[in-house]
Amino acid sequence: MKKKLRVTDSDFEEEVIDSPIPVLVDFWASWCIPSQMMIPVIDKLDKEYDKKVKIRKLNVDQNPKMRNKHKIQGCPTFILFKDGVELMRKVGAQSENQLREIIDSLLWPAEVKKSKKSYKEVKIEK
Amino acid sequence: MHNKDSTCWNCPAIDLAGKVDFRACGQSVEEFRKRMDLEDSGQIVAECKRRPDLGYYDPMSITFKECPEWQKGPYGYLLRDMRVMILGIDGYLGWALALWLGNLGCQVSGVDNYSRRDWIKERGAHTVIPISRMSARLKAAREVLDINLNFREIDILNERERLKEFVDEVKPEAIVHYGECPSAPYSMIDADHAVYVQKNNVLGTLGALFIMRDLVPETSMIKLGTMGEYGTPLTGRPLYEGMFPADAVLTWKEQEWSLGGELTPRDPPSFYHTSKVQDTYNIVEACKYWWLRSYDVMQGVIYGVHTEHVSADPRLRTRLDIDEWFGTVVNRFVAQAIVGIPLTLYGAGEQIRGFMALEDAMQCMTRLIASPPEPGQYAVVNQMSGYHSMRELAKTVAKIGKKEFNLPVNIQRVENPRVESERHPFNPIYENLPKKFGFKPIVSLEEEIYRMFELLTQPNIKSRIEEKKHHIIPKTWWSGEKRKVETIEIFELEREIARSEKKAKSHGQ
Repeated sequence: MKKKLRVTDSDFEEEVIDSPIPVLVDFWASWCIPSQMMIPVIDKLDKEYDKKVKIRKLNVDQNPKMRNKHKIQGCPTFILFKDGVELMRKVGAQSENQLREIIDSLLWPAEVKKSKKSYKEVKIEK
Repeated sequence: MHNKDSTCWNCPAIDLAGKVDFRACGQSVEEFRKRMDLEDSGQIVAECKRRPDLGYYDPMSITFKECPEWQKGPYGYLLRDMRVMILGIDGYLGWALALWLGNLGCQVSGVDNYSRRDWIKERGAHTVIPISRMSARLKAAREVLDINLNFREIDILNERERLKEFVDEVKPEAIVHYGECPSAPYSMIDADHAVYVQKNNVLGTLGALFIMRDLVPETSMIKLGTMGEYGTPLTGRPLYEGMFPADAVLTWKEQEWSLGGELTPRDPPSFYHTSKVQDTYNIVEACKYWWLRSYDVMQGVIYGVHTEHVSADPRLRTRLDIDEWFGTVVNRFVAQAIVGIPLTLYGAGEQIRGFMALEDAMQCMTRLIASPPEPGQYAVVNQMSGYHSMRELAKTVAKIGKKEFNLPVNIQRVENPRVESERHPFNPIYENLPKKFGFKPIVSLEEEIYRMFELLTQPNIKSRIEEKKHHIIPKTWWSGEKRKVETIEIFELEREIARSEKKAKSHGQ
């Protein structure tokens, strides 16, 4: 996993809650095999969404505070935050397409639907 | 260095017991609420068993690169005087690894009950490279290589208490588990042998997992599985490293699910392979229930005779079996070439398998030991450096035997005593070792086969092959029959080479 994707109890507020752009957080654990297998997908999405959406990973064993605060009960759990608010939550391994669809449809529903274009081609209004 | 950024979180010297709450997820809502109420949710802490002076500290704050206990070596950072225990230290791989690790400065301990020697004796065969008794081996390791091995004769299945005492005494920081019966045909001889193999392998390993839970939960188990667990699916789908990747999806009735992290289907081709599949599940569960750490090594067929250390003195040699039960294919082919038996292909002879030379296998194991999994992590590596069909292999062995050693080598097809696909696609994924552990194979097939010819043509070894050559042609049928397989055809090497060249030419057009 890329180092820069790691988020912890101490920088969660700054990195996720106060982020000016939406953040997808993968709450994961080393003992959870599906979590482990998500790593390459997460890395790939991070590259793909670049500055439009932030992708972060939080290890639930190392960061009990955020795990408890966000009531994580299964791994992996994906939460999409926008303006510090939880927009969506998915539990269990997700395919690349599923994650992409969720992010796209929640963040740019109308534009994506209307133009039938991918998020890359849709201009984002802040 | 592939493991420079690993932290104490990965290190076996850490003491996490009671300090990290791993049980936080996947629990009932009630349990979860209770914990929420109780927990202060502060920073997690740990203690180091090697550096108690650190007191309580954040286990993610020190990397292997920064820690003085982890020292740079040829295969990544390695824990200074790392205590490694090898289960099955007297075997073909176990002995070679003991010397290999000892040479790298590890404190190597090992157990064995000499069962490999017993099985071979029971079948009336012998190792064609003579090996010494354990006491002489240990003495030679000391005298020649200045390596002290801490050996204890223990049967891990039937003497669990003794194994427990030994583990408690040594407190190994990694356990390499080679202590199983590795033969498909041996497990197919009859009911007694099948029951024995499964009991020895599955239950022996299960007991060892409990010992780890109770005594060394932060230690990793590097467990030998086999590529054979996967079988050879005729669809040609990839043979992933144990589990499906997250972008593998199940599509059904227009819905889609990720298969990420689920164990891929297994299709073991013998009761021995089935025992390895059962091991896989037992280890997955142990990691899940108790946060044990394990690498399950799906090993291809290992061949060869050489590492620097086993070649250092005749008393340090590791065994080499060529009989139908314990002789693996390349080792068997070379022996056949030397005593003038046409190399035997089973059935069509188009079976494809993954392979790796002995020395490269040692490198892989070292890299896995040096880069331990995280708590609870179960990971799989497909350990092979390439793959070949049996026919290609036979040709390679025959060519080297003929050209370099002037041996008249032919190849024969015989009836296939096994139940297996004789022609099949083969699409193995073996990226973890090179990508995550920095593994690079250094021994080529041709090079190692050449070394084998060099050694096995020596008069004392050649005569040992002659003596037991009647055990090479299989008599153990998966059907239960007990008869020697019949030859279907014998072909000369020149003709076979001409045929494959013609084929290649026509493909080119």
